[in-house]
Amino acid sequence: MNNISRIAIITRHEFLAIAGKKSFIVMTILIPLISIACLGLPYLMMQFNKGDIETVAIVDESGRYGKAITDNDEFRFHDITPIGTTGLHEFYKRQDGLYAIVVIPADIDSTLSVDVFSQNAVRMGLQSYVAQCLGDTVTQARIASYNIPGLDKIINDSQADIQLNCVKWDEDGDESQSDAELASIIGLVLAFLTYMFVMMYGAMILTSVVEEKTNRIIEVMVSCCKPIELLLGKIIGVGFVGIVQIAIWCIFIGIISAIFGISTVASDPELIARTQMAGNIDADTGNMINNIMQSVASINLSGIAACFVLYFIGGYLLYGSMFAAAGSTVDQPNEGSQATIPMMMFLVLALWAGIACIDNPDGTLAWWCSMIPFTSPVVMMVRLPYDVPFWEIALSIAILFGSALGIAAVAAKIYRKGILLYGKKFSWKNIMAWIK
Amino acid sequence: MNFIETRNVVKQYDGHLALDRVSIDVPQGCVFGLLGPNGAGKTSLIRILNMITRPDSGELLFDGHPLHEKDITNIGYLPEERGLYRKMKVADHIMYIARLRGMNSSDARRAMGKWLERFDLTQWADKKIEALSKGMAQKVQFISTVIHSPKLLIFDEPFSGFDPVNTELLKKEILHLHDEGSTIIFSTHNMGSVEEVCEEIALINHSRVVLNGRVAEIRRRFSKKLYQVGISDTMKIDPAEGLFSIEHVQPSPAGGITAEIRLATGASLHDAIAYINDRYTLTTFQELLPSMNEIFIETVSNNNLQSAQQ
Repeated sequence: MNNISRIAIITRHEFLAIAGKKSFIVMTILIPLISIACLGLPYLMMQFNKGDIETVAIVDESGRYGKAITDNDEFRFHDITPIGTTGLHEFYKRQDGLYAIVVIPADIDSTLSVDVFSQNAVRMGLQSYVAQCLGDTVTQARIASYNIPGLDKIINDSQADIQLNCVKWDEDGDESQSDAELASIIGLVLAFLTYMFVMMYGAMILTSVVEEKTNRIIEVMVSCCKPIELLLGKIIGVGFVGIVQIAIWCIFIGIISAIFGISTVASDPELIARTQMAGNIDADTGNMINNIMQSVASINLSGIAACFVLYFIGGYLLYGSMFAAAGSTVDQPNEGSQATIPMMMFLVLALWAGIACIDNPDGTLAWWCSMIPFTSPVVMMVRLPYDVPFWEIALSIAILFGSALGIAAVAAKIYRKGILLYGKKFSWKNIMAWIK
Repeated sequence: MNFIETRNVVKQYDGHLALDRVSIDVPQGCVFGLLGPNGAGKTSLIRILNMITRPDSGELLFDGHPLHEKDITNIGYLPEERGLYRKMKVADHIMYIARLRGMNSSDARRAMGKWLERFDLTQWADKKIEALSKGMAQKVQFISTVIHSPKLLIFDEPFSGFDPVNTELLKKEILHLHDEGSTIIFSTHNMGSVEEVCEEIALINHSRVVLNGRVAEIRRRFSKKLYQVGISDTMKIDPAEGLFSIEHVQPSPAGGITAEIRLATGASLHDAIAYINDRYTLTTFQELLPSMNEIFIETVSNNNLQSAQQ
């Protein structure tokens, strides 16, 4: 019986303790569904929010603009101008089901203001619709009032909408299309994934450590194996859980992309051309996709994927061992969350730094945060799509893995002492003494 | 031959001396009681024997050689604070510990089958531990401790929390393991069980061994020269000057009296028996040895008194 085979047994146990549970399978399926639901939710909510068609009365004192507000699928408008503006409230109360009354003043051309009366909080939908209808019509009327023939066309023509095409040179001056928006989206998504995964799997390690300590199985465990073996087995076991879970999601994404035809092979221009020829996609859309795909192609996806994996592993080791050390200082299951505060702070800080770096991915903040090991796994993700020099990535990964090993060694010392101590208040002084 | 020997083992925690030059000998195949009040250092010593912690100094011999990492496959340990993975199935739990103790899968499975059957738990093998009653969970802990047939078994307060039926069952199994040749270390406050099962003891107080040796020998050493005398033809017994005094007399249910006498210093037991025999109808004569409980309390309080005076 050597250390390696014991670590293997522990790893297998830790892996099965999480991945063998029904809840793991359920969560693995649910998390992507929830994510999709979160993205689709605002749209769905808007759909639900539409509700019934409301009746709105209009008092048009200008006599011209009332007709500009036409019925849409949310509101029906009725002209009640003859009633006038006195006694509107009584009228409102008498009319059952009347939602609001819009009063267009006679001098709207100059004041540009309209009153909407209601006993309800007036919906944003009504406000923006009325403002839009009247705004367009009043603008037209104002343009017409200059009596210059064709003025509306002149104004239209003079509208300048600039489209930016960013072209990126490589060392030799070869051009490729770059799309900052796309790069920042990819960067953000990766940064968020790293943040989420490190936190999620770190928390799993913490739970496992706290469980062993609080139900006192730990005394039996450390009589069967060394604490460091237990710690390594846990970190590796939970790591495998992560790998399996992420692999399942990748397969998910693969299947979904295949269904919707957004295959990664689509970056192959030939394929796009063929698809276009087949008449599946009209020319405009084809061009747009082509542009996007060119931008995607300009981003070194496989390089980013490799870095993502490396940074994830490094970040996971670093934070995972910290979570384990934190867990070993916990006496009661419900104290667990308190012990994670330092890690959570670092992680949230890393995510915020990542978000802040989107605007200037080559700035000082971005540079330093992508070197500091506590933030680099998240912040570097934001920078990666913008072609970070190789030496910077190499240096940052070296720092990350170096400090991950260092932190793991320190964490193991804390863990070794912490798991066997009960009822002691944990002070930094104690912990520093253990590390020595 | 000694299976375990510790020589001058010292262990210090955060400025507190947990073990002060502790030397004990546990003979091969012995049931050894490790006694002492709470906080005396028993658990510290047990953790060192289990290689959970290392001594600051001192020597540890296991089966004749210095204690080594590979020896954990020959040790079974049931801690006082014992837990289980509540979400695991009974069989998985036992297998996990057995594998960590160095058994291969097929041996572990075979041994588990045997033990589950012996404890009437076979039909629970696939149940989660959280579904078990407390008594059944304790049996699972016991099986996990002994499944790899270790040469050395360490039980820390094994009977705490057990109902009388399970205590008997456990005692039987422990003695059975002893018969099969295992060396057993008991750590306990339960002096009744010490008298019943332990052959040798070491009593630790304030981090030091204050008393050790064979149980029978220790009880004799602590003899107060008290004897129980049964007399059938009288209701009264008088003390004999220079020979014995009377401690206590009570009527015997069989008729006559039962008296406790204390032999005078320098008097011979033979003379005392002859003296009584000449004057009364002697039915029983038996030495009253102090119980381990009395010895424990006496030793610990004397020792505490000494430490306080120092």
